[in-house]
Amino acid sequence: MNFQAALALGLPLGIGIAAIGSGIGLGLIGQGAMQAIGRQPEATAKIQLAMIIVAALAEALTIYAFVTMFLLSGKIGG
Amino acid sequence: MGLEFLARVRRTALWVGLVAALVTATYAAPLLALGVALGAAWSLANLALLERLIVAITGAERSSLPSVRRAVQAVAGMLALFAAGGLLLRLLSPAALMAGFFIPYAVLVLKAAALLLLPSALWKRLTQDARLASLVVALLFGAAWFAVAPLRNASIAAPGHAAAAESAQATAGPAAPGAPAGEAHEAGHEKSEGPQKFPNLITVLHRAFPNAGWSRFLEHYEVILFALLVAFLIGLVARLATRNPQLVPSGLQNAVETLVEQLNDFITGILGERHAPRFVPFLGTLFLYIWAMNLFGLIPFMDSPTSNLNVTVALALTVFVYAQYVGLRGLGLVGYLDHLMGSPRNLTGWLLVPLMLPIHVLGELAKPISLSCRLFGNIFGEDMLLVAFVSLGITTLSFAHLPFGLPLQVPFLVLALLTSTLQALVFTVLSTIYILLMLPHHDHEPGHEAEEELLEHSPI
Repeated sequence: MNFQAALALGLPLGIGIAAIGSGIGLGLIGQGAMQAIGRQPEATAKIQLAMIIVAALAEALTIYAFVTMFLLSGKIGG
Repeated sequence: MGLEFLARVRRTALWVGLVAALVTATYAAPLLALGVALGAAWSLANLALLERLIVAITGAERSSLPSVRRAVQAVAGMLALFAAGGLLLRLLSPAALMAGFFIPYAVLVLKAAALLLLPSALWKRLTQDARLASLVVALLFGAAWFAVAPLRNASIAAPGHAAAAESAQATAGPAAPGAPAGEAHEAGHEKSEGPQKFPNLITVLHRAFPNAGWSRFLEHYEVILFALLVAFLIGLVARLATRNPQLVPSGLQNAVETLVEQLNDFITGILGERHAPRFVPFLGTLFLYIWAMNLFGLIPFMDSPTSNLNVTVALALTVFVYAQYVGLRGLGLVGYLDHLMGSPRNLTGWLLVPLMLPIHVLGELAKPISLSCRLFGNIFGEDMLLVAFVSLGITTLSFAHLPFGLPLQVPFLVLALLTSTLQALVFTVLSTIYILLMLPHHDHEPGHEAEEELLEHSPI
């Protein structure tokens, strides 16, 4: 297997694994936020703000994998 | 006037010298930049010593002992300076040193000219009418543009050739699709890397006129032009909305006021009443600008400037520098270092400093990287998603040879609207939090510590 084939196999897999990780993370964040809102509806705005921040942090990891994929995908065709 | 004017000249010359050195380091050799910086520093020191000497000799208490001592010090300092100058001329490029040397004098002359110009009748007539003033500014820009034309041609020539070579390859077309035609392939390499985006106005024009100078220029500065267009549109909307303010707003004014009020409330909710007024203009502008740039790519024949890493890095660096500035101003140098060391208060804290300091410094440096990569990745990925689904829609109908495809991208357009807004919001919220972390700690209202705790210990 030459390195182009390895890249072509590895890049989508890497994205997928990263997406699994941040999917789990986002699910947990959403679950926690929804429960908190359900328990204390008057604090919705604060909870939503914190949720968005943490969701952005969790989601950024997939985005890094995605950017890496685009940086390396140019080398497959070579 | 007088000494105060000289102090202002010194300050301005310091900044100009710094910027000139940075520009030289970027576009020419670092050694030349060092020459420019040292030349400017030499010249400034020379001016300062001269000023000291003249004040000591001609000042009110010229015959007193301290004044004589000061004069002697100034003369000695100048002698040392001349020796240093001789050494510098031997070591570094004389041209760069001379350029740096003349910076304070150029600032002096320009400032004096401005002092003469500002009270004159001509200037008053010019600045009374906004249209006349903008005409003059536009004329000056045009003149400067043509004045640096030779320089510009030299710098654009290389990408221009690359574009020409690429278009030649494109016209050669499917006859030799995979032929890596040596130089042409090498030149078009940057373009062929990565998948294609939607065509926008500028790429279409560039495709139509591949060799015209203006289209090459447009293609070269594509992202900057779109970003400027967005900024111009925001300015236009703001101007239209506030042109004729009513006490009971309606229409555009109403919409803009609602937006501004929401942003103000939102940022005040994070920063607290005391600090918010200082930062709301910057952060609100950041949100509006990024939001408009994100949404701009959804307009046909337009492109999101934020789908280019250069733009997002510039935005993130602005936030980074501003946050460090706020920290240095608010906490002072000692407080800032204390903050970076994790505020050690007891023995354990001090023992952990060698561990905490690198972590905090790295954390600070990671912030702009994560901010810029997040925005870029989201907007670029959204563009790529749309491209993928548009081409899928075209290929599904390709058997019928129709001039259009299935509109498979429509659900993702809605998603794109959502991510555009959300990412602008996330960028603004994170910038706000970074600034909040740099503010003095003791006077926070309760309720904000939780978020702060959360972000203080998060790696991103």
